[in-house]
Amino acid sequence: MPPDMPQEALADTQAAPPATVAAPRPRAATLPIGRRRVLPSLRGHGGASWQRQRYPFTRRTPLLFATRYNPLTLAAERQLLDPRPVLWLVALAVLAVAPPLFGDNSFVAASTTFEMFAAINLVWMLQIGTAGIFSLASLATVGVGAYGTAALSVYAGFPWWAMWLVGPLFGLAFGVIITIPAVRLEGFYYALLTVGIAELCRVYVIQSQPLGAANNGLFGADGFVPDSMRERPGLVLGFYAGFALMLGGLLLYRVVNGQRLGRLLRAAPERHEAFAEALGINYRAARIRVFLISSAGLGGIGGFYATLLHGASPSLFTIDQLLLLLAMIVIGGIGTAEGAVVGTLIVVLLDKVFIGLGPIRLILIAGIMLGTVLFLRGGLFGIPAQYRAWRGMKRSERRAARSDREGETMPEEAIEIADKQAIVVKRFDARLRAELRRLISDALIEEHRTSAGKRRSDTLERVLAYFRSAAVTDKYAILAVKPFAEYRIVALSGRRGVPPRVVDDQVFATPEAARHGVFCKRVQDLMDS
Amino acid sequence: MANIRIFAYTDRLSVRPGDTLTVMASADATDTVHAELVRLIHGDEHPDGPGCIEQSIASPINRDWPVHKQYVQKGNFLRVADPEDKLTVTGPVTLHAFILPTLPEAGRQMLLGRWSVDGISGFGLGINPSGHLEFWVGDGNATDAVAAELKLIARIWYFVAASFDPATGSVTLYQEPVIGRYNSLLSKIVPYDHRSHVSETLRVRPVLSAESGFLIGAATERNPARGMFFSQCYSGKIDRCGVHGTKLDRAALDAIRDGGRPEAAKVLAYWDTAAGYTDRGIGDAVLDTGPFQLHAEGFNRPVRGQTGWNWTGRNDCFRLAPGEFGGIEFHADALIDCRWEPTLTLAIPPDLKSGVYAVKLTAEDGSRTAEEYAPFFVRAATPKAPVCLLVPTASYLAYANMQAAFDAALQQAITASTPILQDIDIEVYKSNVEFGLSTYDLHDDGAGVCYSSYRRPIVNMRPKYRIPGIGATWQFPADLSIVGWLEAMKYDYEVITDEDLHREGVAALKPYRAVITGTHNEYNSEPMMDATEDYLAGGGRLLYLGANGYYWCVGFRDDDPSVMEVRKLEAGSRAWQARPGEHYLASTGERSGLWRHRGRPPQKLVGVGFTSEGMDHSVPYRRMPDSYHRSVSWIFAGVEGEVFGASGLAEGGAAGIEIDRYELALGTPPHARILASSEPFTDNYPLVQEEIYFMTPGLGGTQHPWVRADLVYFTTPQGGAVFSTGSIAWGSALPIGDFNNPVSRLTKNVLDGFIRPGKLPGTDYSLGDEYAV
Repeated sequence: MPPDMPQEALADTQAAPPATVAAPRPRAATLPIGRRRVLPSLRGHGGASWQRQRYPFTRRTPLLFATRYNPLTLAAERQLLDPRPVLWLVALAVLAVAPPLFGDNSFVAASTTFEMFAAINLVWMLQIGTAGIFSLASLATVGVGAYGTAALSVYAGFPWWAMWLVGPLFGLAFGVIITIPAVRLEGFYYALLTVGIAELCRVYVIQSQPLGAANNGLFGADGFVPDSMRERPGLVLGFYAGFALMLGGLLLYRVVNGQRLGRLLRAAPERHEAFAEALGINYRAARIRVFLISSAGLGGIGGFYATLLHGASPSLFTIDQLLLLLAMIVIGGIGTAEGAVVGTLIVVLLDKVFIGLGPIRLILIAGIMLGTVLFLRGGLFGIPAQYRAWRGMKRSERRAARSDREGETMPEEAIEIADKQAIVVKRFDARLRAELRRLISDALIEEHRTSAGKRRSDTLERVLAYFRSAAVTDKYAILAVKPFAEYRIVALSGRRGVPPRVVDDQVFATPEAARHGVFCKRVQDLMDS
Repeated sequence: MANIRIFAYTDRLSVRPGDTLTVMASADATDTVHAELVRLIHGDEHPDGPGCIEQSIASPINRDWPVHKQYVQKGNFLRVADPEDKLTVTGPVTLHAFILPTLPEAGRQMLLGRWSVDGISGFGLGINPSGHLEFWVGDGNATDAVAAELKLIARIWYFVAASFDPATGSVTLYQEPVIGRYNSLLSKIVPYDHRSHVSETLRVRPVLSAESGFLIGAATERNPARGMFFSQCYSGKIDRCGVHGTKLDRAALDAIRDGGRPEAAKVLAYWDTAAGYTDRGIGDAVLDTGPFQLHAEGFNRPVRGQTGWNWTGRNDCFRLAPGEFGGIEFHADALIDCRWEPTLTLAIPPDLKSGVYAVKLTAEDGSRTAEEYAPFFVRAATPKAPVCLLVPTASYLAYANMQAAFDAALQQAITASTPILQDIDIEVYKSNVEFGLSTYDLHDDGAGVCYSSYRRPIVNMRPKYRIPGIGATWQFPADLSIVGWLEAMKYDYEVITDEDLHREGVAALKPYRAVITGTHNEYNSEPMMDATEDYLAGGGRLLYLGANGYYWCVGFRDDDPSVMEVRKLEAGSRAWQARPGEHYLASTGERSGLWRHRGRPPQKLVGVGFTSEGMDHSVPYRRMPDSYHRSVSWIFAGVEGEVFGASGLAEGGAAGIEIDRYELALGTPPHARILASSEPFTDNYPLVQEEIYFMTPGLGGTQHPWVRADLVYFTTPQGGAVFSTGSIAWGSALPIGDFNNPVSRLTKNVLDGFIRPGKLPGTDYSLGDEYAV
């Protein structure tokens, strides 16, 4: 019923003598349907030539555009399917320029810390997200790389660039050690074990004299910032080195997660490993390879750490640092690069930049983390999907509340139906069914049972004509299990290649009985609708 | 344990003693089958009849034979004969074609190129699974592709091309609509912008495998069980297409789009799809008018002579303006020949009596026996018998493997009944209709099926088969009731088929004193119509024991009698309707549709013609006053009462299923008599559509006087005569009471009268009552 119909008219319809069909019940008012386009849309290229560029040496195009016909206007509209590359580019450009340009020294230092942690989290994400190995020894791996390279620098005189080179080897060695239990232990137990290993490392380094137990860390290693440099340029150089490190982390994440290894593992998600294995995917080997690659990466970051801070400190192995790292990942959302980076940004911002807030900032971090866990399903970057799901649910609820028993199509549904005739037919069918329902009686059913092979009443033929011309999908037919002895009712699929399904366990001895059985079923469906 | 399934067909349907018949069989879950030569007598298992009757015939083939699973290659495509590898292009190349896709989102489809699916090698211009035009290449390890910007819209004509330079890897895709006022589903008033011109540089360079020859409409694939086969078949039309040995630029492609021929220099191939048409039809060869004459050959008979991209709507036949009918229609589910390896051959013994036979194949799997019949028809070496049964094999082809009970929403309304399916129906449907479709079905893209052949298992051309829609026998197994009656009445009879009649004309009928039709000889070619007409004009005598006969005009190509073609036009009880401009048979150049609309209604030949159908129940006949005249009363000798034919295996009566009526306005001979007419039918027998000029209520059997089956008799020149029953159910009424019933008696009276040497009975009573003493 149109929303603007005056109440008198409504009363008229209801007071009218019984029409062939009862007037539809008044429904909740229709909200206006149709949205204005907020963002401008690009047009298709039409007759113009479109030269599509690719990243060198790949088959990928930089931006994933799709041009589609708008179903309401048939205009060709071009949309950017995935805006993330643009957002990344903008974000990285801001990061590359803003801190050295506008930040004071402590801000630049904090930014460098952010970059390093972002790199760690990106690589760690490969372990947790891509490989699905819940290791909490990520920071410990960085620590091993840092202590190892620092020791080589202090005791063997390795220069900074050699420390960068051997860092990954320490990480890899440590990775090999902690990957062994991963073969046997799963989930929670493995996580506990890795926490234990990290603690073991911490206790070792605070007790080991050669590793600087007395100085609360092993210092004196070579650094990549020349000593001759003044403070500000040194910080800026550190910042850009960290920026490069973060880009390296992104690259590693992209290469491992987006290429063959990552795809293999995406084909073998949790609880579907057996299926993947049956397809020939050796998911265990793939997981371990990802774990080792990322361990080497973490070791490399350790080497960088040592050259940035001229050494290593036991704080790398502490639980509080680990928890801070975990907070970054949880807030951003596990499984995406942008989650790792933005989660890191938020936590580092609170922890290092708003240091003036005092210990309350840790409570803030905990609060954000708690909120994320309580209200978000996939961290911050899960919000769009979560929002879409919520919106879909709300839409279904709203439609369910407004739809009536006669099944009239609602305006908001109608606009989504390509074949508009289907809407008319649905309305027609509802009216016809209501009319036919009034013709059904026990006498009519009895007439059908006894009139096989005879002329039938016009009323019965009217009902039969409707039944017989229904669409094919789910239409009843009869299966001769044994011709002239055993018949059953089946329902047609309407799709070639899909056989009819047996409807129930009734068995009929004759075709006439089976046809009457079909009639009774159709009457029942009619009365139930 | 898997169920054993056996499927088989013969290389031909009609043989003579001395001929060799080849049987092709495929079996699942067994490697041997037992073969047996059987003579078929009766095929209806209805409990009111004699049941299935067959006689085993001693034959050297009656033994176990090895069998294996055989595969079916479906789909239309063109194979290019390129012995000198002219199309193994290594330099710059342009592929171009006019296309009208019909199922653009049905999965990857090849337009033209050489592509090995399993080898991921070659290049191809085609449609990707999302419905976009795409050019792709593969080097055996990796593929690379460039896709058009916008999806192809179904049933719109496009000119598409891909220009590729392997040296630089650069590809330019070209997609432009060529929508005229007549040729596409939509016109230019629809604000789609179909154009797309995309350039991209590919990273992968194509490597061409030797196996994948140049194909139009398919790619090659290989798997261990099946070997090499064709996949990624296209659904839609392709008009003129070609391969150019340079990277054609936009202007050059625009010129082709506008109807020009590609510049001759550097043309590698240009298939002028409209070349080689004749007034008498079109073959499977698609001619290359380029320098190397790389002609292409159609597989599974793509439909030729269809309206092309440039159809102007003025001419309605490819004979009038061949250039506008260059469309070749492809269907991914088309099948006209299974091309199986032979399983056994049978030399027809010289003394084998003419009749209906089958090679019966069986295999035990413990509890049940799997069986399959491959029926065929043995003619007399030299005709000797007085009676001939003309087996309507053309109509068997029309209904071969019909799926309407599963697919057609109206089927239950037409038959006024709920279909009764058998295991075999479900098996076939489940296999995605592996053995192809009937002319009552639609291809997956919604186009009607216009070709049907017998080089494939036809599961409804088997004894015992009951057609789902009706719950009765139909065509072949129904006609076996006439065979059973001839046997029971001990007539000396011989059989010939529609194919023999089509090839030999009236000479095939001439030796016989009387000819009996099948129950539903609906599909006839012009030579078949002519032969029947000439036979009757020359003193022949015909018992038309069916209805809705002589209805559709069909064609066979001279080089292949196994494939029948029909186009269902704008009238008649038609499962589909040919599109405008596509009303002529590619096989012969004739207009198809109803014979009635070519000036030859069935009434003109046999006195009656199609008037109604319905399948809820059949009724008896009631004698008409004209039947008492002594010129015809001999037909009723021994038939008691006014009403007869109140029982039968087809819905309980002799008049029903499909029915014909007498109509002077449609050419029933003026001296024809209505001997009997049916009792009233229900409203589920409506008047046929070709009789209706304005739709009104009251067209059903209870209200319209034209809804009736007429039993008609008339004489023809030189002592000939026609007896028409006007009912399909007549044949199935013969076996009632062990062939002893009024319908049987009446038929026997007619046949005895027809074959008795000398004048027809009743001939002397040539006057009416005005001269009675």
